[in-house]
Amino acid sequence: MPVDLAREIDVFEGQIELKKQGKIEDKLFAETRLRRGAYGQRYDNGQRHDGIAHRSLPFPTPTTKGPETLWDAPGMQRIKIPFGGLNPDQMDVLADVAEEYSDAICHITTRQDVQLHYVHIEDTPDVMRRLASVGITTREACGNSVRNVTACTLAGVCRCEVFDVTPYAKATAYHLLGHPDTQEMGRKFKIAFSGCKTSSCGLTNIHDLGFIARTWQENGVTRRGFEVVVGGGLGAVPYDAKLFDAAVPEEEILPLAQATCRVFARLGEKRNRGRARMKFLIEKLGFDEFRRLVLEERRILPPDRRWTDYLKDIERYHETPTQAPSKLDLANLDPEFEAWRATNVYPQRQSGYVVATVTLPLGDITSWQLRQLANVARRYVGDNVRATVEQNLILRWVSEGDLPALYAELKRLDLALGGAGKIEDVVACPGTDTCKLGIAASRGLAAVLHERLVERQKNGAIEPAVRDLHIKMSGCFNSCGQHHLADIGFYGVSRKVGGATVPHFRVLMGGEWENNGATYGLTIGAVPSKRIPEFIDHVTQRYVAERQSGERFKSYVTRIGKKALKEMVDAFSSVPPYAVDRSLYSDWRDPREFTISDITTGECAGEVVPQIQFDLQAAEQRNFEAQVYLEQGEFQKADEAAYQSMLIAARGLVRTQFWDLPDEPDPIAAEFKTRFYDTGLFQSPDAGQYAGGKFALYLLNRHADKARTFTADKARHLVEEAQLFIEAAYGCQQRMSEERARALASLDLPAATTDATAAAEATA
Amino acid sequence: MDLHKFGIKFFAVDGQRIDILKLIPLYHRWIQHNALQELLIDVADYSHVPAGPGVMLIAHEGNYALDETGHERGVVYYSKRRLSGELPERFARVAQRALTAARLMSADAELDGTLNVPGNRLQFFANDRLLAPNTDAAYAELEPAFKAFLERLYSGAPYRLARETDPRERLSVTVQADTEAPLETLLARLS
Repeated sequence: MPVDLAREIDVFEGQIELKKQGKIEDKLFAETRLRRGAYGQRYDNGQRHDGIAHRSLPFPTPTTKGPETLWDAPGMQRIKIPFGGLNPDQMDVLADVAEEYSDAICHITTRQDVQLHYVHIEDTPDVMRRLASVGITTREACGNSVRNVTACTLAGVCRCEVFDVTPYAKATAYHLLGHPDTQEMGRKFKIAFSGCKTSSCGLTNIHDLGFIARTWQENGVTRRGFEVVVGGGLGAVPYDAKLFDAAVPEEEILPLAQATCRVFARLGEKRNRGRARMKFLIEKLGFDEFRRLVLEERRILPPDRRWTDYLKDIERYHETPTQAPSKLDLANLDPEFEAWRATNVYPQRQSGYVVATVTLPLGDITSWQLRQLANVARRYVGDNVRATVEQNLILRWVSEGDLPALYAELKRLDLALGGAGKIEDVVACPGTDTCKLGIAASRGLAAVLHERLVERQKNGAIEPAVRDLHIKMSGCFNSCGQHHLADIGFYGVSRKVGGATVPHFRVLMGGEWENNGATYGLTIGAVPSKRIPEFIDHVTQRYVAERQSGERFKSYVTRIGKKALKEMVDAFSSVPPYAVDRSLYSDWRDPREFTISDITTGECAGEVVPQIQFDLQAAEQRNFEAQVYLEQGEFQKADEAAYQSMLIAARGLVRTQFWDLPDEPDPIAAEFKTRFYDTGLFQSPDAGQYAGGKFALYLLNRHADKARTFTADKARHLVEEAQLFIEAAYGCQQRMSEERARALASLDLPAATTDATAAAEATA
Repeated sequence: MDLHKFGIKFFAVDGQRIDILKLIPLYHRWIQHNALQELLIDVADYSHVPAGPGVMLIAHEGNYALDETGHERGVVYYSKRRLSGELPERFARVAQRALTAARLMSADAELDGTLNVPGNRLQFFANDRLLAPNTDAAYAELEPAFKAFLERLYSGAPYRLARETDPRERLSVTVQADTEAPLETLLARLS
């Protein structure tokens, strides 16, 4: 396991222990665990409506792991899989941790992540360590951070891509992971890469920052670069991404991403969570001003070799198949295999190779299946497995002649389901099954539709034009199921009928999955959850009957118009009285009488916690390690760790004023002296006339002691001094925060604006 | 070996007769009426996944399910948190929970008598590869306590053991006892 990953997890485990002891406050711990991918889950406030009444869930541990979030309540662990790329060893470990800490199911998300549900917070460090041993991190999988960087699943093997975006996506993911410029954002930030403009798999249009591959000629040489789009996003009100630059050279993408993060972190909304995504910042500033600020930020960014280091070998980047290319023998093929091949196999650009999609119902795969699939991958494709945004897995670089044998293996694992990307391959977010924000049972509905459509397809009862449609659904308006991009999309809502609450789904039609998710569906109206299957039957029958030659669903929807669509929806909107038919008053696969009272505050937005608080926490952790060294008699290590803990705290304070402070002892000490000691800012007015200054000198004296000898006494004293220094830093931070609040009150300005202005001035 | 995370599955006979979706309302009723005298949290439906965990009842200390792994249905309980007592006692407690769930399910009108768990065939699995990997050495450590538990469960009747051979899978043992006994009898032996 990489040393830095191991240390990060040790630190997180230490924070769990400190939280149990009540030494970390709720908001800080919540954001800390979110940034490790440990997310809340439904009922984690200890309240659940069981269909009769609200009941408390009497968990034994009284501690909380966030505001109104009980310690023992099961949570979700999100696992980042950059560009969805997986190898067999990683699949083995994912399978094992799902089995031992979750419920033996790995769930693939619409952003190429893996999620485990029902995980106890105290098990998360072990989960993280085991994942880290195969190069997987959960860092910044949730919270106000750069989320998983996604990319076309076909990148590198696609027949229409400009070039393989994989190494660029990978470099971006790891460059921004834990980067100081991404730590102070007010909300999440999503990045996607696409190999072309026209296919669907990159979905750049719905991302905060999207990169679309392109090349151009410059002085007779072909240059690689990207069209860059910004400010896209779904959510309650979807925004199309806007063109930022039609041609950004490849060497500029990392600094541009970094500069964009800086502007978002500095100027993005921090208080109103509903307006904190970057699309709202662009709206507020105006696109031209936003662009000007990003370019100005790019201009002043301190240079970083990592921006271009990875490019040296990029043209040589390739994947290694395990089998030689071959052709499929088309004689005597089994009809079942042929049906699967028609929907689940994509011929690669490389002759003799194909991509095989493993269709996963609702994105779920069992631990046993995943482990077995890892073996299949070892044999047929090696490290070339990816998770898709349609919640499936793909095996790339399958030698075409191996397809029948591969299909037989998948059949043995119950993984040979056809219909990938077809109407029966329904996409759904977790909804009320596990999500705190879920209104309706998206997975329940998706399961019903999936089973029904698979059965119909077996009987040949689905028209080809209908089979090509996409159905996607979300449990609420937050769009995790990407319902806006579906031909027929749904999101959960509720309606009052005769004093009772009835689960409904709002219908959207005519969204476009192609062209990187270029068009969002029109919202038409709401249909009771239990009537959705018959509604889909009606819509698809009408489409088949009324479509013009070759007319696609999106065009059909546009042609017949919203009025006709509304009539279709309205025909299914009635709800019989409770006394006549109770079945509509509960949701799919959940017989409890429907209620929305289980909805609580989601954690998608994370907690806005200033970076200084994380820095001070890190300083404490380092000084704790110094104490351990001291106990072990390792005095030099103890001394150095205590000194480092003061530097970490001092750096945190200085960076509230001077963001680009280099992470080196000399500038930290110098800037701390100038800005905090000489100005008296560090000195506490309540700690006696000299105390604050004395504490500051602990760092400054230790820093000046270049010829230090290491003894037990010196180390012991320094560990004590470091603790006092950190306490004083906490006090200083608190005073600054109160001072800012007073200033705000007098100016009547929103906090984020003032913070941002101060930071902008400091940076400039 | 200080094992806490493990499970026991009692196989059903003719398990495919059961309409697994009927377990969803059944488990919700158990939560409403606190049928198992422990903290029950929610129902998780994985009926759409072939040979998966089926429909699960998520509890604080462990999970219940009509598990479908290997296309063989059975009532499983596995513990997630620390258990008190010595290892044979822990085995007995986990088995009791699985058997109690099996007895309640068998008697439930919702399932219409379709669930038949004779109790003479079970699978034990250690759900903790760090502590109990699927090795001979780990099994040797567990074996005495496990056999003591089986002696108690089957009251000295003969049985056969078959271990999972894939080292990547969990340490697990399938037990086939020669004689059947009603679930009540098995529960009484463990109480």
